[in-house]
Amino acid sequence: MTQHGYGSWVTRLLLKGGPIIALFLLAGYLSAVSPHFRTTSNFMNVLAQTSVTAILAVGQTLVIISGGIDLSVAAMMALAGSLSAVSLAYWGWSVWLGLPLGLAMGTLLGLLNGLVITKGRIPDFIATLGMMTTARGVSLLLTQGLPVPSHVTAIQLKAYLPPELIWLGSGAVLGVPVPAVVAVATALLGWTVLHYSRLGRSALAVGGNREAARVSGINVDRARIAVYAFSGFTAGIGGLVLTGRLNSANALMGEGMELQSIGAVVLGGTNLFGGEGTVVGTAVGALIMGVLGNGLNLLNVSAFWQRVVMGLVIIIVVIFDQWRRRRFGA
Amino acid sequence: MSGGEILRLEGIDKRFPGVHALNQVDLDLVEGEIHMLLGENGAGKSTLLKILSGSILKDSGRILLRGRPVEITDAHHARTLGIGMVYQELSLVPGLTVAENIFLGRWPTRAGGLINWPEMVTQAEAVLGSLGVPVDPRVRVRNLSVAEQQLTEIARVLALDVQILLLDEPTSALSDRDRDRLFGFLRGLRGKGVSVLYTSHRLGEIREIGDRATVLRDGRKVGTVAVADAAEDTVVRMMVGRDIRERFPKTPVPIGAPVLTVRNLRASNLLRDISFTLHSGEILGVFGLRGAGRTTLARSLFGLARLESGEVLVNGGGIEVTSPEEAIRHGIGYTTEDRREGLVPMMGLPPNITLASLDGVTRAGIIDHREEQRIGARLVEDLRIQPPVLSRPVRLLSGGNQQKVVLAKWLASKSRVLIFDEPTRGIDVGAKTEVFQLMGRLCAQGVGLLMLSSEIPEVLAMADRILVMHRGRIAAEYARGEATQEDLLRSAVGLSGSGMEEA
Repeated sequence: MTQHGYGSWVTRLLLKGGPIIALFLLAGYLSAVSPHFRTTSNFMNVLAQTSVTAILAVGQTLVIISGGIDLSVAAMMALAGSLSAVSLAYWGWSVWLGLPLGLAMGTLLGLLNGLVITKGRIPDFIATLGMMTTARGVSLLLTQGLPVPSHVTAIQLKAYLPPELIWLGSGAVLGVPVPAVVAVATALLGWTVLHYSRLGRSALAVGGNREAARVSGINVDRARIAVYAFSGFTAGIGGLVLTGRLNSANALMGEGMELQSIGAVVLGGTNLFGGEGTVVGTAVGALIMGVLGNGLNLLNVSAFWQRVVMGLVIIIVVIFDQWRRRRFGA
Repeated sequence: MSGGEILRLEGIDKRFPGVHALNQVDLDLVEGEIHMLLGENGAGKSTLLKILSGSILKDSGRILLRGRPVEITDAHHARTLGIGMVYQELSLVPGLTVAENIFLGRWPTRAGGLINWPEMVTQAEAVLGSLGVPVDPRVRVRNLSVAEQQLTEIARVLALDVQILLLDEPTSALSDRDRDRLFGFLRGLRGKGVSVLYTSHRLGEIREIGDRATVLRDGRKVGTVAVADAAEDTVVRMMVGRDIRERFPKTPVPIGAPVLTVRNLRASNLLRDISFTLHSGEILGVFGLRGAGRTTLARSLFGLARLESGEVLVNGGGIEVTSPEEAIRHGIGYTTEDRREGLVPMMGLPPNITLASLDGVTRAGIIDHREEQRIGARLVEDLRIQPPVLSRPVRLLSGGNQQKVVLAKWLASKSRVLIFDEPTRGIDVGAKTEVFQLMGRLCAQGVGLLMLSSEIPEVLAMADRILVMHRGRIAAEYARGEATQEDLLRSAVGLSGSGMEEA
């Protein structure tokens, strides 16, 4: 007598597919008004531009599902990228050590976030806000406020970033930008963690009802710490990719990306109050932001107006999402 | 006392994804009557009240107020029509005072829109006084007992001068005395021509307070009866659609070896000298008044409250439990008094059911979704959870079915010791019987059950032994059939006489 789902695929699409529909409508419109939009090269360009936001947003998704928020993803990314770059360009580390160092740094910072939040018992918002400023400060100290490598050091010391790292940010595999491949791989990892691991299930339970998770024997603190550590790890990945794309790291890179990552998560239909959400939705959310930015560029909309449009789109989509939840989910 | 018709519902229909919550329901409400709305959990009672109070919209059907069709659009609109609702779940703001809550959103003001505090307190005192509620309007709501909060909630609605009062299980948190007071007040309102639509799970209340009763089942109306003409059995049959042979089905199960032994437990500055043994196959009832320490005992055994001293042995081995995680590892399960503390509202049924036994569905660190669905489907069918839609978020289930999901979680966990805190709180007759049958089945499988309850009849009927708690101690112990209702109460208030002498 048991049955699955809510009924017809139309209802299902309306229930779950809001972001996909929005993405297709947007892409359809831009294809119609801008011939350049539909070209393959432009499409690859969008993918490359979206990748870093998408990578950060994967970790952010898990954090938000667990009922938290991570304002420090962009700052952790900058510190992880800067540390890797410094170790590779100035300390002479090999890529086999320098790249993992960045990932380890990101994970460690995320772990600190989790520990401060759970053991220090302070709100997620405050802890990660503190981390956001602190990590930027440490990055500035580490890089002395200069790009790594800077023009001067590159010329005088012949300090370069290794080709592997540049490839990570600017290379291509079968015509697909490497950052996009890394983003897909990160999303797959996030999807697996969310869907198949105890950690993902714990995050959903903790975000849905912390008390219920606790009385069901889930170690709430451990789950929250792990989720923040995961977010730090994806921030580390983002740091390497962005450094490769920019050909150098700097302490201020990716400023504002924490908000973009949150925007992608929310556009993807994840509940900002925790308990429900998907990584696939987040990937779609990141694409919406990327396509929109690209489209506005192609339509020659000024950069000032682009910000206004981006902000409004996020608000409108979330209003629609809340309405949909009320209407179909009562 | 009965005047003309004030409210008529015709063909009210409401669907949620996967359920037909109300199917062509008609109802009429007469001026100055107390009309009981009865039905099992999920029958549609709360949905109907929510439509009338404007918190959800109907799909189709007509609502006639004094013969005039109205479309109730939201809660504020319902209020302007003279319809007020007291919600089952408390909807007070804990950080505000009683007076502020009573006049929430329509605080009396002075010139310039500033709140007139003295006036508000005076008016609140008048409202509370007329209801006979001994609560200071200046106190913050979070400092009130649950019963006081419930009465404040009722006072808030009554302060609106409503003609139609909707009450969704108003007595589930009230003591007998507060309930009598509330009933007295409802009779007074009835005398003034106010109509009351009242849902309750307590069958005893039908005759005590009701004039007429309408029974819903599976979203349809079964019928309306005059309470004076209807026997209790008739009403129960209408509600569940079948004869309930026994309200307290007790399966005789051989009592086995001790599964849980507690020695000289001391905890949370409340529990003292708690010693008892729970055996395999046994239901050990724990009765006590509010504040006697029942829930604290449960929380201490489950690692949610700190033990000061004492020993806890499971299957003869001493254990130290400092977290629910460890308690579960030792085979202890616990259903909280408030079932909402046991469920993740937006998750579907299988993930909620396997939440306490994720190890059982994890292979090499990967959750086996097919196995999880299989376990979920089996328990959903086994416990007759309605509707049997696995992907449905549990927040959309009725109270009784939510409770079944909580129980299913502990069935899936294969615990050897289960602590049920008020397992039948706020669920209907049919679901209660099913919960009791389930308890019998658990015992037959060798589980030891600690049943904490404030419902004397169910403790007397279901428990093999009964402990009575008073002020953090075990005041008396009775074997099955040894105690009367009065004995339990006497022990619970600290009067000796039967059972153990109080130290």
